[in-house]
Amino acid sequence: MASVVSGTELMVRMGELATSAVVGEVLVTIGLGSCVGVALVDARRPIVGLAHVMLPESTGDADGHPVAKFADRGVPALAHAVTALGASRLEAVIVGGAQMFSFGGTDGANIGARNEAAVREQLDRLGIPIRAAATGGRKGRTVRVHVQGARVTVREVAGVEQELYGRGTL
Amino acid sequence: MTHYTDMQLDALRELANIGSGNAGTALSAMLGQPVDISVPAAQALPLANAVEAAGDPESPATGVVLPIFGDIDATVVLLFPPEDEATLCTLLGVQPGTEEGHSALGEIGNILGCSYVNSLAEMTGLTIEPRPPETVADMVGAILASVLAVRADSTNLALVMDSRLIVENQECELTFLLLPSLQGIDELLRRLGLA
Repeated sequence: MASVVSGTELMVRMGELATSAVVGEVLVTIGLGSCVGVALVDARRPIVGLAHVMLPESTGDADGHPVAKFADRGVPALAHAVTALGASRLEAVIVGGAQMFSFGGTDGANIGARNEAAVREQLDRLGIPIRAAATGGRKGRTVRVHVQGARVTVREVAGVEQELYGRGTL
Repeated sequence: MTHYTDMQLDALRELANIGSGNAGTALSAMLGQPVDISVPAAQALPLANAVEAAGDPESPATGVVLPIFGDIDATVVLLFPPEDEATLCTLLGVQPGTEEGHSALGEIGNILGCSYVNSLAEMTGLTIEPRPPETVADMVGAILASVLAVRADSTNLALVMDSRLIVENQECELTFLLLPSLQGIDELLRRLGLA
């Protein structure tokens, strides 16, 4: 979890996950293409987490791969991490899973869609409802998860920040 | 995690140097302008770092992506920042930001990518076949992460060979990346007698 702090923004890079219960902090993942950003928030309290998933499942030895690289390991690891911070009623927001290119063969072409399906399957298995999603399409996205109000915002290239989810209160 | 020796990385850097030299010559012929090549780099990086190798991942760029198949699998990515894209289109006599401009960039990418890859093929005796390019305008990080994801199943390491082509007196610069599969690097090194 080698996250870099810049101001109150914590960068969650490819394959990483981060959590926060510090009001004012924001978890950020820049440039999600076929990757999926999985945000978990507590329904009542200011506790959030964000994982940057790159692929659906680990096919072999998971050693040497970051914890959130694969959906099948990353989503449970994120749920565990936010629960450890005191979160009890988890809700999810998912972002990304675009198809930016059509090449890459049968596997490469739909990594985005497979990532989204794998993330949804893991969340379903863990009984975590998805409250909002900005997935698919052909455009990259940046996601921000604010501890305050569990606000989740999304921005496309050269676009404006749009609110995808938020409680409206602390 | 795979490690490469300094000698191997030097050899790959030299390949990048020759490849981008060829691409630079092709660009110079197209534009009728002198083109400089910056000192190329060859680095083995964890994927999260590889995404950042071409600069700020949130910055916008037009990316021309050429998948390479044959004796080695690789992907060539050319990144044009918006201002440089506009300059380049103007030099080519097409309107930036139009369908025509977009397809001109794709064609430049195709020509440069092919001259780069052909010089690698000649030097190493490999049969390499580029596929038609795809052109996307998006965040640099989203473009690179989506390219890298295709081969990220079994490794968390990417070898990034990058160089910059600079059109002299025009403040126009583009980034050229070769992202070979790990098997592709092994094959390149074997052909160079450095495996």
